[in-house]
Amino acid sequence: MKRIIVGALSALALTATAAVAEYPEKEIQGIIQWGAGGSTDTVMRSVTPHAEAALGGTVVMQNMTGAVGAIALNHVAGSAADGYTLLMGAENPLLYKIMGLGDKDYNEFTPISILARGTPVLVANPDAPFNDYAEMMAYIKENPGSVKFGSTGPGGLPSVVTAMITSVEGGLDVTAVPYDGDGPALTGLQGGAIDVMPAVLGAAIEGIRAGNMKVLAIMDVSANEQLPDAPYVTQFNDAYSTYLPWGPFFGVFVPNGTPDDVVAKLSAAYATGAQHPDFVKLMNDRGFTLMAISGDEADAFLSKWQQGTAWLLQDAGLTKASPEEFGIARPGE
Amino acid sequence: MTAFMDFLTVFTQPELLLLVGVGTFAGVYVGAIPGLSVTMAVSILISFTFSWDVYPAISLMIGIYMGGVYGGSRTAILLNIPGAPSAIATALDGYPMAKRGEAGTAIGVTTVMSFIGGFVGIGVLAVAAPWVSDFALKFQPRDYMLLAILGILLVGSLSQGSLVKGIFAGALGIAIGAVGRDPLTFAERFTFDFQLLEGGISFIAVMIGMFGVSEALLQLHHVNKNSVRQKISRIVPSLATVKKHLPLSLQTSSIGVIIGALPGTGGDIAALMAYDHAKRVTKKPERPFGDGAIEGLVAPETANNAAVGGAFIPMMTLGIPGDAVTAIMIGALFIHGLNPGPMLMIDQPDMFWFIVGCLVMANFFMLIFGLTGIKLFTRIVEMPRAVLIPLIMLLSIVGAYAVNNSITDVYWMLGFGVFGYFMRHYGYPLGPVILGVILSRLLDDNWRRAIISEQEDLGRFFSGIFSSPLSLVLFVSVILIFVSQTPLWTKAKGRIFGEKGQGHE
Repeated sequence: MKRIIVGALSALALTATAAVAEYPEKEIQGIIQWGAGGSTDTVMRSVTPHAEAALGGTVVMQNMTGAVGAIALNHVAGSAADGYTLLMGAENPLLYKIMGLGDKDYNEFTPISILARGTPVLVANPDAPFNDYAEMMAYIKENPGSVKFGSTGPGGLPSVVTAMITSVEGGLDVTAVPYDGDGPALTGLQGGAIDVMPAVLGAAIEGIRAGNMKVLAIMDVSANEQLPDAPYVTQFNDAYSTYLPWGPFFGVFVPNGTPDDVVAKLSAAYATGAQHPDFVKLMNDRGFTLMAISGDEADAFLSKWQQGTAWLLQDAGLTKASPEEFGIARPGE
Repeated sequence: MTAFMDFLTVFTQPELLLLVGVGTFAGVYVGAIPGLSVTMAVSILISFTFSWDVYPAISLMIGIYMGGVYGGSRTAILLNIPGAPSAIATALDGYPMAKRGEAGTAIGVTTVMSFIGGFVGIGVLAVAAPWVSDFALKFQPRDYMLLAILGILLVGSLSQGSLVKGIFAGALGIAIGAVGRDPLTFAERFTFDFQLLEGGISFIAVMIGMFGVSEALLQLHHVNKNSVRQKISRIVPSLATVKKHLPLSLQTSSIGVIIGALPGTGGDIAALMAYDHAKRVTKKPERPFGDGAIEGLVAPETANNAAVGGAFIPMMTLGIPGDAVTAIMIGALFIHGLNPGPMLMIDQPDMFWFIVGCLVMANFFMLIFGLTGIKLFTRIVEMPRAVLIPLIMLLSIVGAYAVNNSITDVYWMLGFGVFGYFMRHYGYPLGPVILGVILSRLLDDNWRRAIISEQEDLGRFFSGIFSSPLSLVLFVSVILIFVSQTPLWTKAKGRIFGEKGQGHE
C-alpha cells in the first residue's frame, strides 16, 4: 500500500515537473485585441510564426474586437494564468482607466515582449496651403478653426499628438473631424475631407512616398531612417523634447501569476522571433522601431509611457478621471 | 505584353490553378454557412499561408473571396438564412422560389448572374481602376451621408404591404445599430450601463436571428405539411432568359462596382441598392417582387459579385481597402514583404495582373462549382420539416457563435429570432430592420463628420452640397426618389398624365 502511494506521488511529481518542462504541451491561444488587417493584427501574425518555431509549439491567433480592445483584455485577464492564453495588444489599455473605458490595464499582465514602437507623423493633403509644421502653425493662427484635423476619438494617437501640440504651443484652434481609425482618416485626407492627420508613420508611409500626402513634421527628436529628408518637429520647436520620443506600441502579454519559467520561455521565443530577418524587414518597411524588450525593461517602458501620456491628456482636459485616482504619478514626481 | 504574361501566370501553373479552385470550392461552402464569413476565412488563411510564396497565398485567398461572396446566396435561397449580409436581398425573392419548388432554377440563375457580375467587376478593375479610384476618393462625408439616405429610402421597396410598418422596422434597425460605444467619441449610447451592451449588438446575430430562427419558428406552424417537391429539370437558365436580363444585369453590376470601390461601403449595400434599382426599372416582372421575381435575384447577385472587383480597385491603386476582405489582403501583402500602396502598381505591376488573372479564374470555378451539386442541395429543402427545423436552428446557433466566439451573440440571435417571428406574424417586414442596422453607422458617422467639418453650420453644409456636382447629383436623386415614392406623386401623376395611380411602388 505504502509503495503504491509513494509510487503515485512520485509519478504525480514527475508529471508535474514534466508539464512545466514540456511547456507548451497543447495549443496556445493568442487573442488579438484588434480586427483582422489592422496594424496590430499584421504585426502579430507576422512575428508569431517565427516565435512558434523558437517555442516548438502552436499559437492559434484569433481576433477579438469590441470596446476599443477592452473585451479582449478582460477575456485574457479572466483566463487561467498558465501561459496558454496570450494577449496581443497595442498601447490603448494603458489609457482605459483614465478614459473610463475599463478598470483593468496592463498592470494585470506580465509583458512577454514589447515588440515595436511606432513614430507619429503629421501629414497633410498635398493641396493644403502650408508645407511644413511652422507654416501650418502660422496658417492656423491666421485662420482659427478652419483647418480640419483628423481624429480617432479620445485616447487615440491623434488626440495625444494634438494634446502635445496644445501644451507646447499654448493652443491649437482647429476643427477635429472624428474617424474610426487612421486608415479611414487617411483615405479622407487624400480625398480632401480633412487637411491634416496625425498618424503613425507606418500607415502613411506609402502615401507619402507616392506623393498623395505630404509630411509636415515627424513627431520625433531626430530624422527618420525611412524618410531621411522629412523634417522632425524638434527642428521647429525644441520644447517637444519633453514629450518625445513617444509612439504607439505592440506587445504580447500573459496574465499575472503565470509561472516564471513559462514567461521566460515565451519571452525568449518572441525575442528570437522578433529578430527574424523577415520581421525586421517588415518593421523597417512600415517605419516601426523594433524593440523586443521584456522583463523589468518592459515594465519600466510601460509605466513611463502610461505616466507621460496620461498626464498629457489630463492637462489637455481630455480625460474622464484623473490619473491620480489610479495612482499614476505625474512624470518626474 | 508582360502584363499579358503576368495575367496568364495563374493559367499556366497547375499549382496556382489548383489553389484557386480549392479556394473557390471552400469559399462557396464557407460562404453558405451563416456566420462563417469570408473575412474570417481569409484572416485564418493569413497565418496558414504565412510560409508560402506570395502567389499561392493570394490565389487561395482570392478563390475563397469570390466563392464566398457567391456562396451566401445558397442558404438564402434554400433556407431563407442569408449566408452573408450581401445575400439578404437574394433571400427576398430566392426563398419564395424555393418554396414553390423552383430552388434549382433560382440557384442556376443566381450562379450565372454572379458570373456575369463578377466579370463586369473584373473588367472595370482591369481597364479603369485608376479612374474609378480617383472618383471614389471624391466622395466626401456628406456624399456618404446622402448615399446612406438613398439607402434608407429603400425601405419603400423592401416593405411589402404597409409602408408605415416598413418605416417602423427601418427605424428600429437604425436604433439597434446605434447601441454601444459610439465609435467617434467612445461615449456610451443606449447601453443603460450594462457592460454587455458596450460592444454593441452584433449585426450578424441580428440578421441570423431575424431570418433563420424566425423562419424555423414560422415553419413550426406547418410541421405536418409535406415539404415542397423541387423541380430540377431546368437548372442552367436558357440563353433567352440570360439575354432578357442582360441589360438589367449590366446596370446592377455597375452599381456593384461603384459601391464596392467606395472605401466604406461594400457588397451588402450594393446588393440592396441593386435590388431597389431592379424594382424601379422592371415595369412588368413575371411575378411580383418578393414573390419570386427573377429580377429580384439577378440584381443583388450581379451587384455583390461585381463589388468584388470593385473592392480591389482602391486596394490596388491606392493601398486603401474597399472592404474588410481587401483590408486583410493588404495585411497579407505586407506580411509577404510587399508594400501595397499607390506605388504597388508602378513598382510591381505583375502583382496587379496576377490578381486580375486569379479573379478571372475564380469566377470560372465559381460557375462550375455553382452549377454542379445543385440537385444535392435542393434535397435540403425537400427534407421533412421535423429534420429541417432543427437543422436551421443548429446552423443559426453555430453561425451566431462563430462571428465573435461569443455566447452572448447566440442569446442576441435567439432573442431577435423570437422578436422577428412576432414581427412577421403581425406583418412587419424584416428587410428594413437589417437595412437600418447596415446603414445606421454609415449615416450617423458621416452626418456628424460632415457637419463637424462645416463647423456645425447648416448654411455652409448646404452650400457645400450645391457647390459639388457629385453631392448635387446625389441630393437631387434623394429628392426625386423620395417624391416619386410618396402617394403625393402618384396622385399628381394621375392628374397630369391622366393615368390611374398604380401606387404599387
